[in-house]
Amino acid sequence: MAILEIKHVSKFFGGLAANADVSFTMTQGMIMGLIGPNGAGKTTLFNCITGYYPPSKGEVLFKGKLMNGLEPDMVCKLGMARTWQKVRPLAKMSVQDNVMVGALCRTGSLKKARELAMEQIMVVKLEHKADFPAGRLTIGERKKLEVARVLATRPELLLLDEVMGGLNPSESEEIIQLILDIKKQGITQMVIEHDMKAIMRISDRIVVLNSGEKLTEGSPQEVVNNPEVVKAYLGDFHA
Amino acid sequence: MKPLSLITGNTRGFSIPSLIIGIVLLGALFCFPSFVQSPYALHMMILLFLSTIMGESWNIIGGYTGQYSVGHAAYYGAGAYGTLVLLQKWEIPPWYGMWAGMAVAVLLSLIIGSICFRLRGPYFVLASIAVAEIVRITVLNTPAVTNGAEGILLSDLPPFKIGGTVITDFVSKVPFYYISLLLAIFTIVVTWLLQNSKLGYYVQAIREDQDAAHSLGISLSLYKSIALAISAALTSLAGSFYAIYIKFIDPSTVLSLDLSVQIVLIAIIGGIGTIYGPLIGALVLVPLSEALRSNVIAQGLINCGVVREDSGVGIFLKEHLAHAHVLIYGILVVIVILFMPDGVLGFVKKKSRDWGLGTGKGLDR
Amino acid sequence: MTSSVLMQAIISGILVGGVYALIGVGLTIIFGVMRVINFAHGDLMMVGMYLTYFLFTQLGIDPFVSVIITIPTMFIFGGIIQKLFINRIIGSLPQNQILLTIGLGLIMSNSAMLAFTSDYKILTTSYSSSSFNIMGISISQPLALSFLITAVITLLLYWFFMKTDTGQAIRATAQDREAAQLMGINVKRMSIIAFGLGASLAGTAGALISPTYYIFPQVGSAFTLKAFVITVLGGMGSIVGATLGGIIIGVVESVGAVTISSDWKDVLVFSIFLLVLLIKPAGLMGKSST
Repeated sequence: MAILEIKHVSKFFGGLAANADVSFTMTQGMIMGLIGPNGAGKTTLFNCITGYYPPSKGEVLFKGKLMNGLEPDMVCKLGMARTWQKVRPLAKMSVQDNVMVGALCRTGSLKKARELAMEQIMVVKLEHKADFPAGRLTIGERKKLEVARVLATRPELLLLDEVMGGLNPSESEEIIQLILDIKKQGITQMVIEHDMKAIMRISDRIVVLNSGEKLTEGSPQEVVNNPEVVKAYLGDFHA
Repeated sequence: MKPLSLITGNTRGFSIPSLIIGIVLLGALFCFPSFVQSPYALHMMILLFLSTIMGESWNIIGGYTGQYSVGHAAYYGAGAYGTLVLLQKWEIPPWYGMWAGMAVAVLLSLIIGSICFRLRGPYFVLASIAVAEIVRITVLNTPAVTNGAEGILLSDLPPFKIGGTVITDFVSKVPFYYISLLLAIFTIVVTWLLQNSKLGYYVQAIREDQDAAHSLGISLSLYKSIALAISAALTSLAGSFYAIYIKFIDPSTVLSLDLSVQIVLIAIIGGIGTIYGPLIGALVLVPLSEALRSNVIAQGLINCGVVREDSGVGIFLKEHLAHAHVLIYGILVVIVILFMPDGVLGFVKKKSRDWGLGTGKGLDR
Repeated sequence: MTSSVLMQAIISGILVGGVYALIGVGLTIIFGVMRVINFAHGDLMMVGMYLTYFLFTQLGIDPFVSVIITIPTMFIFGGIIQKLFINRIIGSLPQNQILLTIGLGLIMSNSAMLAFTSDYKILTTSYSSSSFNIMGISISQPLALSFLITAVITLLLYWFFMKTDTGQAIRATAQDREAAQLMGINVKRMSIIAFGLGASLAGTAGALISPTYYIFPQVGSAFTLKAFVITVLGGMGSIVGATLGGIIIGVVESVGAVTISSDWKDVLVFSIFLLVLLIKPAGLMGKSST
């Protein structure tokens, strides 16, 4: 069953098209990889899906419901949550308080939220830092916090924006395992990632964006063997 | 560490020693009028409580939510005028009139919120000033209701009765002392409750990062508006109290931009986003401004022999320093922002950490 | 009310609006380059007024001539403020920036009070109340003169920003501080020049209105508010917008004073401000994103 349908979504800034007529569908429980060279419009698409920008054209349907024009907070309450490429810890609040803010999306009780938060903190293995101010975490810990916090909102669809960016190989491996564990819980995920090896391992399907348009879509194998994808990436590297 | 942790430390739970200190302090404050009869001392204490109420109220929107209002005089004035206009024109006692003032304040806050809380950037600060100025000019220009620039002088205050029994008749300062003390405690309790509620977590998340908060299911305009409404309601209480205590109000004392700035200062100087910051701010500012106003400082400098009374400088200081107490405020703000951006409380916290006082955990929060 | 009264009001509104534009342009330059809202802006204007008053009463220099002295003096004054205070808080919390400039404003206005007392001063020149007629509309001579000077200064400013290297460096800094720094622009220096410019524009505005306005230490705050309205109306950071905004506010005030009442003209201005926030928060010249 389709959990997310993107239908002909375009986003213009002034005359510039950051996304042009992008369409694809995600089914329940899958991991969709979203790749493309820098400036391909990946994060813009995330923003369009999660309510940060209204799409200029096209429709975003989540569980069959039209999401255009909904504010990000409503999008989150409906079960679609995202992380940020540039992590956004609530710096002065502790790790636990950060995750509690996420958990409070589903409960009004602080006690309940604290328990839910602790569960997610254990999932990402940050329990030894639970009382630490989030602003003093390392980049790897911040990325994990970002995931724990967003998981605490109990999403059905999770959009991860470069959660491995800037991490060392062992930290990346931890995140990969985390993403696969989240999949086992039945949560659908869309993942933006630059590390091709990682994205090949975790994705069920991959959408490639280039200059705002969908270049191709397919299984990881199909995508790496597509000459156009290679060209787009080489073009990017030589630019 | 122990006495320090009472003010700087873990604000979530109460440790036993801090609880004891708190109870002793409260006991002393409640017994204070039995030992000290001096009206001047009582007056100073009342001003201290009043400043605490103002600072704590502002702290809810400015400190916890991170939305800087430089127009809180509007809410203060709404409380003051709401109470006195009803009392003078229709003889409605202040303990009813203050609710009307509060309603006006909350209504104003909702208007500002609906205009600005959709926007990012400095717009809220600017709009808060604009609305406060509109209120001030409106009061100034509707003398039929507000007496305009002349202000309202309260001729007599009815005694407070419950079912025919007179509880108090307001002849001494003592009833005012207790009312303001209770109000101050009330605002601190409200702040504590806020900090330990979903609303408190949400507004702090908004302060730290609006986009992150938004993505975690927090409606920005809703929670900012709630915080502002609570802040406005409490500020209007301070205004109502001021009006019946001083018995005279005019636009330049209860609706001025200077007052708005002063309210911000109380919180900033103490340290924003903490329960006790505004209390510390009031403890610093009230004695300081009183010392400047009453020329204690100029006289002190003369008495110490720093300047001679009959010298040009001495005469100049005696004549002008009292009028320029705002100058000292200005210097204080600049110093605080440049050298103690987290206020006195944050400064003490940081220093105590640098000097190795305390055991990290409580202080980290 | 006759149409000639209205015409009269519009003309004098435009003339006063020219001076408002100077204040607004100064504020918008400071905001554009530093992203700092200068709450001491009106107080800088007040300093300019007292400087003019001092030059006139002590040295007998005509207010309009004294602009030649006011511009460089205020430029240096602003540069010093930037170097000593504002540069330290660039990029820090916006609330701290706001409070710092509020504090600086309080220091300026209260120092003026200590030095000159809080009495209202009036600077009376031989032509303060003289006027001339064009097609039956009387135009105040000092206002017309100040508008002329304003126009010259504004044109010079455009030339500076468009044609000179420094002007372009300042514009680059305003566009993207980090990128400008990477390109080798001395960003701190540009900030000092920008604040100096802002201060000298505010000071000049003070000099230009001193023959027609009361001079007192607290005169600044009303103009600070006006400057905010003007810059938001024009779109924060836009010089053309601020010029336009200044003239619009001048006309609104002056027409409001004759059609409604001068007591309510500020309410009118602030209501327009709130309306702009409600309808088009990016301002007249601001870019809206969709």
